[in-house]
Amino acid sequence: MDFAFNPDQQLLRDSARGFLDAHCPSTVVRALWDDARGESESMWKDMAQLGWLGLTLPEAVGGSALGMVETAILLEEMGRAAYPGPYLSTVLAATALAEAGSPDQQRRWLGAIAAGAARATVAVLDTDWSWEPAAIATRAVRATGGFTLTGTKRFVPWAHVADVVIVPAQAPEGLSLFLVERAAPGLTLGAIQGIDLGTRWATLTLDAVPVAAEAALGPPAQGEALLQRVLQRGAVGAAAEMLGAARRCLDMSVAYAKVREQFGQPIGAFQAIRHKCAEMLMEVENAHAATYYAAWATDTGAEDAALAASVAKAYVGDAARQVCGEAIQVHGGIGFTWEYDLHLYVKRAKALETMYGDADHHRELIVRRLAS
Amino acid sequence: MDLTYSLEDLAFRERARRWFEANTPRHELTTLEQRRSWHRTLYEAGYVGMGWPREYGGRDATPMQQAIVADEMARVNAPPTINGLGIGIVGPTIIVHGTEAQKQRYLRKILSAEELWCQLYSEPNAGSDLASLRTRAEDRGDHFEVTGQKIWTSGGLIADWGLLLARTDPRVPKHKGISCFLISLRQPGVEVRPLKQITGSAEFAEVFMTQARVEKSDLIGRLGQGWEIAQTTLSYERGGNSLARVTRYAMAFRQLVESTRTLRRSGRPLLDDPVVRGRLGRLYAELEVQRYAALRVLSALEKGESPGPASSITKLSYSEFEKRFYEVALEILGPYGQASSGLPANLTLPVVGSSGHGNTWPYAFLWSRAGTIYSGSSEIQKNVIGERVLGLPKEPRADRVKV
Repeated sequence: MDFAFNPDQQLLRDSARGFLDAHCPSTVVRALWDDARGESESMWKDMAQLGWLGLTLPEAVGGSALGMVETAILLEEMGRAAYPGPYLSTVLAATALAEAGSPDQQRRWLGAIAAGAARATVAVLDTDWSWEPAAIATRAVRATGGFTLTGTKRFVPWAHVADVVIVPAQAPEGLSLFLVERAAPGLTLGAIQGIDLGTRWATLTLDAVPVAAEAALGPPAQGEALLQRVLQRGAVGAAAEMLGAARRCLDMSVAYAKVREQFGQPIGAFQAIRHKCAEMLMEVENAHAATYYAAWATDTGAEDAALAASVAKAYVGDAARQVCGEAIQVHGGIGFTWEYDLHLYVKRAKALETMYGDADHHRELIVRRLAS
Repeated sequence: MDLTYSLEDLAFRERARRWFEANTPRHELTTLEQRRSWHRTLYEAGYVGMGWPREYGGRDATPMQQAIVADEMARVNAPPTINGLGIGIVGPTIIVHGTEAQKQRYLRKILSAEELWCQLYSEPNAGSDLASLRTRAEDRGDHFEVTGQKIWTSGGLIADWGLLLARTDPRVPKHKGISCFLISLRQPGVEVRPLKQITGSAEFAEVFMTQARVEKSDLIGRLGQGWEIAQTTLSYERGGNSLARVTRYAMAFRQLVESTRTLRRSGRPLLDDPVVRGRLGRLYAELEVQRYAALRVLSALEKGESPGPASSITKLSYSEFEKRFYEVALEILGPYGQASSGLPANLTLPVVGSSGHGNTWPYAFLWSRAGTIYSGSSEIQKNVIGERVLGLPKEPRADRVKV
């Protein structure tokens, strides 16, 4: 048993940190916050070059066929950098395509995604924002040659830059997933501004959007199981990104506590501050264990993989909120300013906390699994 | 990363599981002789002192194998060894710091539980500030004479011997004037009194020493080296028991879930109440995270890495979790959670306490308050983490000021 990263994983982490430090410093993050599109095309191309966009995709389409552990390593670093962009949403959609897509669908999208030429996302929530697939009200009605989709999807991450959206909808056969091109007729987008300007959301209105029968992703009756796997990976991915944000907040707090003096000494010498930092580290280390256990369990198809994903999302969501909040407290007034970088990570963690199942949802899933 | 158990460890676990299922006593061990006999059975099967070097009767077992055995013992709720402190702390201290004569004289009898041991560290006015201890050991030429009082002595009531910290030089800074001894408790001048705790039982004792005798040959290490030795001793306390602890939490959690099925409120099982479900979900998430963290520590120990001050994170985490776990469990169970008898059989809620003793929720709840106090309180752990892991500046402390 070895809980530490292997040399390849360590290398991936180091190179990710190096790349993001160089290309995604807070000045860039802030510029993208003010940008209408909200992400950097050149950074996206660079990430394709580095192999990040095809990380989980088959080698045949230019991918590296790696798994959730490696994805989590990248996402943790992205959280640490408050990287703004559609990485997680694209990886989730692409991984689902690689898993369940028809040869045509894979030909159409996977190579383009791995090369950085296309972006994708998954539109899970309806106006009823339960993460239960049963709560999805968007309907797929049979029409000539396929279906029409009607409904309202909310809080769709990075929909405005996605070329293709995976849309779960209630079809006659049960919950099914459909590939919908963003340019499809009847599909309109409205931006939602959230707490984190580095995470872009949209409301996606589907008014009898026509899709061909071939647009269904995977067998019709298995849509729910596929969506559950997307959500499981989403939970682990979001946990990894929150972990990165929390660790950055801790690092900044410790560095600040060493130099900021009050009452004639560094505030880190006071137990009130030192104990706070110690508790933050404990939460971060526990969050690390939870995230990577879940990532590993997902990759290996371990019996407790779904449970571990729920544990990670619920635990890390709470822990990251706690750590980021305490970081503001350690910094005092400066931590409350727009000019200081702390809020970039605080806000990222908060946005992620609500994605792919909030803590309440995952705690319910845990109990359902244990008590059924 | 690879979190699969090795084939050797899986086979080892399988053998251990079969052995414990076949050999664990089905009845409660009530007498000292029964507990000693169970210890000898464990010893002969090779499950005592597994981490000790072979030359001193151990098995050179890996940390993972030690954790597996502790875990399997927890799984069948097996009684613990009778000489836990002797095997976990005193023996290793003698192995690292003792003389050859001390090793010959003591180690084998520790392993076989022929002599039972306790740790004589804390004093009424020297708990977290252990180095301010006042028990004196004075050189009387051919021996040392010890006078003072110790408290919170686990296993004190049955111990034959104690690992003692005492002040040998009051004129030097307090951390430098302490020495470490082996002292017989079976002698005139030593009185051991049970210390009844908030649980109502007495796992601890107070030990009073009045002109008690310690042979010169029973000094461990050098005179004045006691503080340094105590630091290494405390670091033995982490790691090996980590999986077992989580297994006991998991057993208690299962019993909690069962109880929420049985107990009804407002006409429906507690388990159907969304508030209860939310609390259960949170508890279980935290519990599982303790398991992942334990595996992480074990995997580091497997590679020969010393967890060092990072073990303070583990101790802080599990002891604070344990306290929260029983607090929330008793909240969920309401009046039934604080009842220890007097209810119909189907509503008498059993629990496996994390300490391995006590079998009621009130007992487990009260006992959970000990973990954040003993073996370095949570506050001390946070100081260690802040200073030695995060590198935050030391707090100016009057007792460290150079004179």
